[in-house]
Amino acid sequence: MGEFALLSIIIFFPALGALLLLALRKFVVSDAEGVESEARIAFMTGLFVSAATFFLSLIALAYFQPAQEGFQLVEDFAWFGGQADDAGNIVGGIRYKLGLDGMSLLLVLLTTFLTPLCFLASWGSIKHRVTEYVAAFLFLETLMLGVFCALDMMLFYVFFEAGLIPMFIIIGIWGGAERVYASFKFFLYTLLGSLFMLLAVIAMYLQAGTSDIVELQTVIPQIFAVEDGKFGVQHLLWLAFFASFAVKLPMWPVHTWLPDAHVQAPTAGSVILAGVLLKMGGYGFLRFSLPMFPEASLYFQPMVFAMSVIAIVYASLVAFRQTDMKKLIAYSSVAHMGFVTLGIFSFTETGIQGAIFQMLSHGVISGALFLVVGVIYDRMHTREIAFYGGLVTKMPVYAAVFMLFTMANVGLPGTSGFIGEILTMVGSFQASSWAAAGAALGVIFSAVYMLTLYRRTVFGVMTNEKLDGIKDLTRTEAIVFAPLIIATIVLGVFPALIFDITETSVAPILAAFSGLIG
Amino acid sequence: MILPEPLILFIVLAPGLVAAIAGCFQRFIGDKVAMIITTATVGTAGVLSLFQLFGYAFGGHHGDGHHHFQHVIHLARWIDVGQFQANWAIRVDAMSIVMMAVITSVSGLVHLYSWGYMSDDPHRARFFAYLSLFTFAMLMLVTGDNLIQIFFGWEGVGLASYLLIGFWFHKDSANSASIKAFVTNRVGDFGLALGIMAVFFVFGTVELEPMLEAIKENTFEHVAPIMAFAEGVGPREAAIEFLGMRLYALEVIGFLLFIGAMGKSAQFFLHVWLPDAMEGPTPVSALIHAATMVTAGVYLVCLLSPVYEFAPVASGFIAFIGAITALYAATVGMAQNDIKRVIAYSTCSQLGYMFFAAGIGAYQAAMFHLFTHAFFKALLFLGAGSVIHGMHHEQDMRKMGGVAPYMKITYAAMLIGTIAIIGLGVPHTQFGFAGFFSKDAIIETAFAAGIKGVSFAQMAFWFGIIAALLTSFYSWRLIYMTFHGPMAEADHHDDHHEEDEHAGHAADGHHDHGGKPHESPIVMLVPLIVLSIGAVFAGFFFYDSFVGHHQADFWSGAIYAASDNTVLADKYDHHHGGINPGWVFYAPLVVTIIGFLIATFTYLFNRGLGARIAAKGGPLHSMFANKWYFDELYQATFVNGTKKLGDFFWKVGDKKIIDGLGPDGLSGLARWGAARLSAMHTGYLYHYAFVILGAAAVFGAVILINVTGAN
Repeated sequence: MGEFALLSIIIFFPALGALLLLALRKFVVSDAEGVESEARIAFMTGLFVSAATFFLSLIALAYFQPAQEGFQLVEDFAWFGGQADDAGNIVGGIRYKLGLDGMSLLLVLLTTFLTPLCFLASWGSIKHRVTEYVAAFLFLETLMLGVFCALDMMLFYVFFEAGLIPMFIIIGIWGGAERVYASFKFFLYTLLGSLFMLLAVIAMYLQAGTSDIVELQTVIPQIFAVEDGKFGVQHLLWLAFFASFAVKLPMWPVHTWLPDAHVQAPTAGSVILAGVLLKMGGYGFLRFSLPMFPEASLYFQPMVFAMSVIAIVYASLVAFRQTDMKKLIAYSSVAHMGFVTLGIFSFTETGIQGAIFQMLSHGVISGALFLVVGVIYDRMHTREIAFYGGLVTKMPVYAAVFMLFTMANVGLPGTSGFIGEILTMVGSFQASSWAAAGAALGVIFSAVYMLTLYRRTVFGVMTNEKLDGIKDLTRTEAIVFAPLIIATIVLGVFPALIFDITETSVAPILAAFSGLIG
Repeated sequence: MILPEPLILFIVLAPGLVAAIAGCFQRFIGDKVAMIITTATVGTAGVLSLFQLFGYAFGGHHGDGHHHFQHVIHLARWIDVGQFQANWAIRVDAMSIVMMAVITSVSGLVHLYSWGYMSDDPHRARFFAYLSLFTFAMLMLVTGDNLIQIFFGWEGVGLASYLLIGFWFHKDSANSASIKAFVTNRVGDFGLALGIMAVFFVFGTVELEPMLEAIKENTFEHVAPIMAFAEGVGPREAAIEFLGMRLYALEVIGFLLFIGAMGKSAQFFLHVWLPDAMEGPTPVSALIHAATMVTAGVYLVCLLSPVYEFAPVASGFIAFIGAITALYAATVGMAQNDIKRVIAYSTCSQLGYMFFAAGIGAYQAAMFHLFTHAFFKALLFLGAGSVIHGMHHEQDMRKMGGVAPYMKITYAAMLIGTIAIIGLGVPHTQFGFAGFFSKDAIIETAFAAGIKGVSFAQMAFWFGIIAALLTSFYSWRLIYMTFHGPMAEADHHDDHHEEDEHAGHAADGHHDHGGKPHESPIVMLVPLIVLSIGAVFAGFFFYDSFVGHHQADFWSGAIYAASDNTVLADKYDHHHGGINPGWVFYAPLVVTIIGFLIATFTYLFNRGLGARIAAKGGPLHSMFANKWYFDELYQATFVNGTKKLGDFFWKVGDKKIIDGLGPDGLSGLARWGAARLSAMHTGYLYHYAFVILGAAAVFGAVILINVTGAN
């Protein structure tokens, strides 16, 4: 039992802020100049609430004991079903149970870290329906935090699916010209994936009588034990979960929603999408697939490896040919998430630790890259690479920031991008040198597409006269980038900060496999 | 013997610190301060490192001669995941002492030289920041005590190289060259990264000391449970599964790591980036693309000598590639007209010498040539830069000629550099320039190894001899075309191509474009003079330490030779305990003189003959002039292939197949949904979505209550 329900406060604080904002908007002047003041009040509120949430999650970090195994800051209440035991406490059933281990703590921090930056970044660029925009982001934050904190499968499912809705709305209302197609594709893909998961969740609940994730992790492998390596129910359940997580991540070949969603989403939407939402897939693998279905995970390892390597090579090559900056970075995200699945399914400590690190690092780097694109999109309202060129002459600070994140995305050692890539590859080499060799090709291609992008936009001579008046980073933009730059370099130079926290959450996952791999 | 820790920390870390200051705060501190702090820091580091090298080489014995003498300073934890440990550290041993001296001394001089060369460039602070950043990364590379820190430095120097090749970012050719350099190096890094993974797989560590000790002591079956091999079997026989094949572990590791070395050191197949890298400012070419970065591959192979001692096939491959590169680059160098490209191919060729030396087991000789080459090649580049500066940024040797009287010091320095690179000296004596000691050591060891039957050693010897002839020819050709004969037409500025201009030039419109060539300012001449001293004496001073009678004590286990590798002792003639016949010692001198005579005949006495031969062409000349058509070949295959494959995956894979069969295939449904959505996108969507959520929640709750009720 959490003494003061810290996690609930963290999770629902943004939603509370959103509700207050929506409820009180009537009292804000709504005359002609009111639109502007409404926008300012909305952004101020959003910034304040999300910053406070970040602060709260830092308190959680302070309370967290990295060396202690198991979940911490646990809150556990009966919700539906379950039976009363002798003492009168309800056990089993569906519960409202929250808790953190190292992995989820860091994902919570990533979420609360990126959200305030999103508000800062949208300040100048979102001009209509600002109150709703801010509220949607705050709701989204609550749901994302819920996903990472939930220790009950049903609760997880509710947060996991509900997270779709605000993102759907953000793309659908504040998106680009083809936002309807994109948001629909996004919704369709992810919802279809999730239906399979819902079926599996119900089946598991019926059999186990509990939806407590911690209990399920010990109970499910026994209930659905695999006999003599034969294809059985565990494999079906694995596939059902896989359908949902693979779409979310996204893995090849169910990745095509991502480029469309990114291109149409407003900048901050892309940041959250790439930064946090994609990580739910990787998180799901580590929380459900591996501990609950170890034999099936091992069984499907070659398939996942193949899909990961294809994702890395294929998406990198496609990225190389893009003419739209955001699409390029979206495909680059697909490639980088390939390293995550590769590491997770290596079932080695280096691989899984690397995968978690890669998720965090990619959250920061790809978020930053979408912001980098957003900066010039706000000025010129086009993402066409060919439109730009020679920006360095007018925007030297911007050029330096862009260079840093280009190199981070390329996985240059010293940035956080390197650590995740090398560890996941080292891990996968233990399982398959083919997979590692295929993934290492991505190291070449990422340099090709990122440096080409950089050269075409930033270097060269400025020939497009529309760019003549383009201004360098504003103070606000610089403030947005500063924490991302610090995070990229600090994590690249002192990654032990992360590994010390994740170590104890990886150990039990590996324990499930210790008997399975020689 | 070695410097106290604080000074070593200063040498390695201070360049990084000043790079960060000069780079991030250039607006506040200004160009002058940025230039002063970087030059002073790196210069001081250079003096300290040279002091350390002399102290180490001539300051008595180190350790017991059997164990690796090294001192490791631990800085901080870096990656610490299970067995995978890689920490920030500074390793000081013979290898890193040599490299630190080379890097910081050349870098210090290049910093100083750049005061003159870049004097009219508007981005000087950025330039100096990059130079210092490079120096820092290179030092991290050579002082790493694990492969991951080496990789950090490896990619860090790649970054600095990329930034400096593309320093004049408005030039299209510079941008292409910088990307080409980075990507080609990444191809090498693909191999290097896989090699590091294989190391971890086999040894369970990426730290150098435990890994190399395991090979030397033949104990690595204890750390690698994956391969059970019979007792009494040496490290050579340990096998792993790689890409579905069962292969010797050390061969796999050696081969993969060498691919990385090929990229960084511009060896055959992966050499294409180096000539294009000449787009960067000339001081950069001298520091990065001649003296230091491109030798990182040689350094890596020598550092991992225990691996290669037990990987004969990989070593043979190194010798083979090195020999091919030595000869190939020399043939291309003969037919180039851009003064910097001639020297670039010359660098490529000399790196080939170093590699084949390492490939046949003469790692010490490879390191020795690396050491001497750094001085005379930096000298040649900086001398060429001085000419280019004096000729108002003209690089085409056909438009030069007769500048010797105007640039006497530069001319003298270039002569010294040339005599050093062709390796002039008197066999069996201590009289000779730097190249004489190191290049002849390589050629002699190659012949001795050939007698012993080492793979590709004989080929390496003959290729080395022919390349020595060509080296002499193209080096003298450069001197004659540039400094001798009549001045080329006076209007050489009017028709010089656009790529010869650079930012500083463009910014400084009132610069004296016309007029005669002029000698460079003193800040550029001082480095030439200092490097000339190195080009003359570096070989003489250090011969005994690197490859002579004191080599075992000098290296103190930093380089390992298996018990059957006696190539360094074999290289002497019968009177001195070796196995080489007498003529081997005179062969390099003879071919060098032949090359000199041909060049003198065609380019000095019959000036214009060379040009006429070139104009007549013939297939051989076109092949050399066009670098054997490697660029065209790679463009047609790799570059276009990648583009086509990318387009195919995008337009067919994603659009036609995945989307066609997937979401768009359900177009009826999609259209229905889209129609609904667009009808509602006035804001009701918002409410609509909440209705979905509400409905889902109610629906779910009903199911669940029924389900749980049933239990």
